[in-house]
Amino acid sequence: MPSHPPDHRGKRQRAAGRLCHPPPRRRVSNPASPYIVFENVEVRYSPLVRGLCGATLRIERGEFVFFVGRTGAGKSTLLKLLTREAAPTSGKVTLAGIDLGRLREREIPALRRQMGIIPQDFALLPRKRVWENVAYAMRAVGATRKEVRRRVPAILEQVNIGHRADAFPHQLSGGEQQRVAIARALINDPPLLLADEPTGNLDPEHSLEIMQILARLNERGTTVLVASHDVLTVAKVNRRIVTVEGGQVTSDSKSEAPARV
Amino acid sequence: MFDRLEFLFGEATMALRRNVLMALAAITTVAVSLFLIGGLGYVYFRIDEYARTLPGKQEMRVFLRSGAPYAQITETAKQIRAMPGVASAVWMPKEKVWEKERLQHPDLTEGIENPYPDAFKVTLSDLSSAGKVAGAIRAMPAVEPAGGVVYLEKELEFIDQAMRVVRWLGSVFGSLLFVTGGVLIYNAIRLTILSRRVEVRIMQLVGATRLTIRAPFVIEGIVQGALGGALAALMVLASHQVFARFIESLKADVTSPPFPLGLALAGLSLAGATYGLLCSVVAVRSPMRLQ
Ligand SMILES: Nc1ncnc2c1ncn2[C@@H]1O[C@H](COP(=O)(O)OP(=O)(O)O)[C@@H](O)[C@H]1O
Ligand SMILES: [Mg+2]
Repeated sequence: MPSHPPDHRGKRQRAAGRLCHPPPRRRVSNPASPYIVFENVEVRYSPLVRGLCGATLRIERGEFVFFVGRTGAGKSTLLKLLTREAAPTSGKVTLAGIDLGRLREREIPALRRQMGIIPQDFALLPRKRVWENVAYAMRAVGATRKEVRRRVPAILEQVNIGHRADAFPHQLSGGEQQRVAIARALINDPPLLLADEPTGNLDPEHSLEIMQILARLNERGTTVLVASHDVLTVAKVNRRIVTVEGGQVTSDSKSEAPARV
Repeated sequence: MFDRLEFLFGEATMALRRNVLMALAAITTVAVSLFLIGGLGYVYFRIDEYARTLPGKQEMRVFLRSGAPYAQITETAKQIRAMPGVASAVWMPKEKVWEKERLQHPDLTEGIENPYPDAFKVTLSDLSSAGKVAGAIRAMPAVEPAGGVVYLEKELEFIDQAMRVVRWLGSVFGSLLFVTGGVLIYNAIRLTILSRRVEVRIMQLVGATRLTIRAPFVIEGIVQGALGGALAALMVLASHQVFARFIESLKADVTSPPFPLGLALAGLSLAGATYGLLCSVVAVRSPMRLQ
């Protein structure tokens, strides 16, 4: 259970005259600037426990990036910085030009509607059917019943789970549950997908299937970030691999590529 | 809009159904506390009203010493009339009283000497000063020292005490239970939040607004409070019936006015709902974290 993220917003952030849920501000208009930037980011969960210590990384729109590294390296923390489940103690995290560390608490829902979050534990509602799980999330972000009826089948189809729409989560295999979690992450049509150990509990075959679904979403333009310690599966997918060790980025397949030298 | 409300209220009912026992505990406690505060307040008001309707309770008889000189009697009348809390003092000479008695009961009064002393009929304007007025009159020289002042002392005292008990019960137990009821509502909401943490987490993950996440819990609190208020109104109705019957058994000619059930329901439910709103807002203010 994470402690409440430390709040590092400056006083000038609390400017007057804001709406309740303003869209995230686009401060940077330069389209050439990277989509996601981690700049020497440090995250302290407590005075002694650090999630990250000086991580630096750039990610462009449309990339598919794996964060690999052993348990406790800081992979999840990197993702949590983007979802604002954690905030940087020092350094800077920007997403599409927005300084996430300075985001106000009430701007977080709007931020999260711009991304799809696939949590490590699926977080499915056991008493709701597959389609209801997706519908519930849609209703929570303001979709009407009509919109739900119209869109849910297509969303389930995107992850090949349409045929299990009426099943309850406990009737599904791990891979199928994972696909429902991905489907739920797609309800806002996000340009960015974040998955934390999506193959953590799956056998190699289903792991590959999940990765292929994510790869397909990536091919349609979605930026996909995956934290995983499943080196075998990651190697098979052949995408950018960022290695995290002791809270820092220690290697990056992109910068090692000959073209970038 | 309607669609949105439907979702929020659907979530709230779900929450209520999950923790039926806790919700019931909160509802009944709020009901009893509102009953004690509001209901006993009503009973208090009714006793007071009853006291006002007691025939003759505003009256006092003042008997004079036999053979008191005329000048002393007029002086006494003047003094009594000047007392605060006294509306009037009517002279009732013993001959007149005896005459009336003889006409009413000729058989009983046959061959008997007039036993009545001269008297005043004193009418009070302020019931609460009855004791003081009686004491002052007793001390007057023309007034018969033993039993010279007669009024509904016992009855007034009883009513006074009943009112004191009601006031005490209502304020002490009422406020204790009121606070307990608030804590129980708070607890029920916290429990609901706990039992719905997956739902809360999902909503946070997909970017539901603070309001969407919290409104169902606040609605739950409001409903609990309102149900408590409504239950309290029914309890007041029941106790009113008992009380009314008691009064009617005391005085056959007094009929209590009908109980204003609609007003009590509306008032107490509204009070309960407001209280539930307050308690649940406090409950959802504490952070609900992801994971
Ligand atoms: N909520 C938290 N509270 C305290 N320490 C945490 C919390 N989350 C992570 N950590 C610590 O931060 C470090 C990095 O964790 P994490 O980013 O989850 O690593 P990974 O995902 O690579 O396994 C670990 O030492 C972990 O114990
Ligand atoms: Mg992790």
